[in-house]
Amino acid sequence: METPERPLRVAIADDALLLREGIAKVLADGGLEVVASVGTGVELLEVAARGGLDAAVLDIRMPPSYRDEGIVALEEMRAQGSTIGVLLLSMYATPEYALRVMGAGSGTGYLLKERVSEPQTLVRAVETVASGGSVVDPEVVEQLVQRTRADDPLSRLTERERSVLELMAQGYSNGGIAQTLFLGLKTVETHVRSILQKLDLEESPEHHRRVLAVLTLLGAR
Amino acid sequence: MAPGRKGRIIRRTIVIALVVAASLTMEITGFLATPGELRREVSWTTLHAIVPLVFAACAGVAWAIGPSRLPARLMVIFPLVWIPLSFLRVIEHVAWLWPFVYGVHLWWAVLTGILVLLYPRGRLIDGVDRWIAGIALVTSVGYLLGVLLLGQPSAAVCDCTVNPYLVADAPGVFAIIDVGYRAIGVLLAIVIAVRLLVRWVRGSVPARTVAFLMPIALIAWVITLAIQAAAYASGGADLVLDTVSLVAIASIPVSFVAGIAHARNMRARVADLMRITREGADRGLWAESLARTLRDASVRVYWWDEERAGYADASGEPLDDSPAARRSDHGLLPVSSPTGMPIAVIRHDRVLTDNMRLLDGVSSALRLSVDNGRLRSEIERTLEQVRQSRARILEAGDEARRRIERDLHDGAQQHLVSLGMRLRLAANQARDRGVEPLGVELDGTILMLNQALKELRELAHGIHPSLLSSGGLALAVPELAGRCPVPVEIDVQAEGRLPEVVESTAYFVVSEALANVAKHAQATRGWVRAVLVDGELELVVRDNGVGGASADGSGMLGIADRVDAVGGRFRLDSEPGAGTTITIRIPLGRFTST
Repeated sequence: METPERPLRVAIADDALLLREGIAKVLADGGLEVVASVGTGVELLEVAARGGLDAAVLDIRMPPSYRDEGIVALEEMRAQGSTIGVLLLSMYATPEYALRVMGAGSGTGYLLKERVSEPQTLVRAVETVASGGSVVDPEVVEQLVQRTRADDPLSRLTERERSVLELMAQGYSNGGIAQTLFLGLKTVETHVRSILQKLDLEESPEHHRRVLAVLTLLGAR
Repeated sequence: MAPGRKGRIIRRTIVIALVVAASLTMEITGFLATPGELRREVSWTTLHAIVPLVFAACAGVAWAIGPSRLPARLMVIFPLVWIPLSFLRVIEHVAWLWPFVYGVHLWWAVLTGILVLLYPRGRLIDGVDRWIAGIALVTSVGYLLGVLLLGQPSAAVCDCTVNPYLVADAPGVFAIIDVGYRAIGVLLAIVIAVRLLVRWVRGSVPARTVAFLMPIALIAWVITLAIQAAAYASGGADLVLDTVSLVAIASIPVSFVAGIAHARNMRARVADLMRITREGADRGLWAESLARTLRDASVRVYWWDEERAGYADASGEPLDDSPAARRSDHGLLPVSSPTGMPIAVIRHDRVLTDNMRLLDGVSSALRLSVDNGRLRSEIERTLEQVRQSRARILEAGDEARRRIERDLHDGAQQHLVSLGMRLRLAANQARDRGVEPLGVELDGTILMLNQALKELRELAHGIHPSLLSSGGLALAVPELAGRCPVPVEIDVQAEGRLPEVVESTAYFVVSEALANVAKHAQATRGWVRAVLVDGELELVVRDNGVGGASADGSGMLGIADRVDAVGGRFRLDSEPGAGTTITIRIPLGRFTST
């Protein structure tokens, strides 16, 4: 963990200049230090290679092919051993991308671009990934939960357990869930154990693995 | 077989039998009625009796194969007017009858002459022929009148009772009529012979070889007729000459029948050529069939070669068009299309030039053949152009949708997101300055904006799923299946990326098919499988619903059209109660991969 005195150092990559500047302003207003602002994934990789970064915010669709350059850059950074927090922004909430992002390792996040109009959400997401946590956009989770499957294991969950599961999928820690749902930590832990048992999932020591497992389960039902 | 055919054959057989019987009766009764010392030789009489039999037999054949019925009718009437003079002795005392019989006893010659004129088409071809036939008929009727009013045969012919129709006893005038009639007959016979000879000389070799009997028979007959006429005038008879005359007359119907049989055969062979043409024969087979049709093994076909601007045969050997080659005993028949484009040159034996009808038939067949081939290839070319343009339109449509989605993504969506961000900043500033109501107002605006963004996102996704562009079928199909209210099992084994148009077609098919599953199938499960087999994408969308889907429904038609446009195949199996299975196969070879 960084010391609270030093602000988090963040780099931004987005080919849309307007958004890039807006994001930079939101993050700066949120107390973060934007050290670089570039237009492509390749440029961001160069910035990251110079070191000193705590987190990066990347658009997924960037030049040259406008497909998944942001995720490719993330996977490249992880392959090079970088563990900085990486938050991917996308115009679409695509579960398949969320799974790929979570699959790249800990300290990753996937948010809809329109979350930039909620500065706290964006800043908190950057802080979460920078500290090794996971963030998944609620819209993605909503899509996954709405998918219909035969013999749906989710039908075995209670209403409360369902809400807890959705927050688990968004990357919330047990503490975060307790805070969000106004529950005691113990209660949340009981719910989580019950959910994992009912869904035949194993609790993992690494937080992002839990997110990945839940997302995978939701997607594969 | 037509129901009337059998009856017609029986009727004809009866008619022929009756005329033969009548003819033989006249012959035999005449022979018996003639006093022994005046009788002709038995051999001559036999031969004389055989002539009408030959005509009757040929009438039967001509009826069956002739180009018209007239020749056969003339041949069947012939035995009735082939009246031996000796028959007069049988009826010499039937005063009202014998003048009529005597008056028509030479009509057989008129029938024979007209029969020759009818050869080979079964009708009188030009005005001269019609004049000849008319003169013959008019003089014959005149002769009959002459006999009725003035006739009284000599005692050497019969011991006839007095002619009851006699108006004047003028043996001199009657003798002139008698001789004059025969002289006109001889003259007309000579004219007919000449015309026939001219036609024969102009005819083609094959036609000549078979039909040579006719002119020979006619010439023999004309000569004997002339001599006989002279002999009649001088009152004498020669057995040898008479015999030759009978053989010559008998050979005329035989020649006629042989000639039309040959022409029929020739037509049949040209018809064969037409048949081969219709079946789309290749050039080698065509030249071979042509040689067979023309009975000319030296026939060569030189086809027009657009590139070389010259004629060459199937093996590529060019046509020798030099003056020396032109002077050879080969004729050249150029064939061109109705629009004047050269098609081919047929090199044939020069003698075939005479048979223009045959060559006309042949060149028509060739023209038809080439026109057929040309039309076929034109249709194929047009169809291929249509296919290609349809595929291009489809690709252009896909490309346009991709571009619109990208424009939305990079333009309107980005701008609205930025706008949301600025509104948030404004709301924060409003709160900082203590204008809480404005902050609340702006919060509401942001919510509305985000709702609009969500709708825009759905719209853009509907126009073109960005996931298909970036992740291909492997990502886009599961996402599509996830939106279907019916649980769908997915098995996409398409390794790597496929050509864009194939991916978008497959995506469209899955999307439409799953929409059908959701709306109509009443299914509880669905399956989507995509695999690559033999360079083709095979996509199967199946459900366990009620089945009974119609291939004519707009959804299915849309799928079939899309698949067809990229050269793929579409199959629908939807027995009622057995679920619905849509199978498509799209060949990948014709598209460049992205």
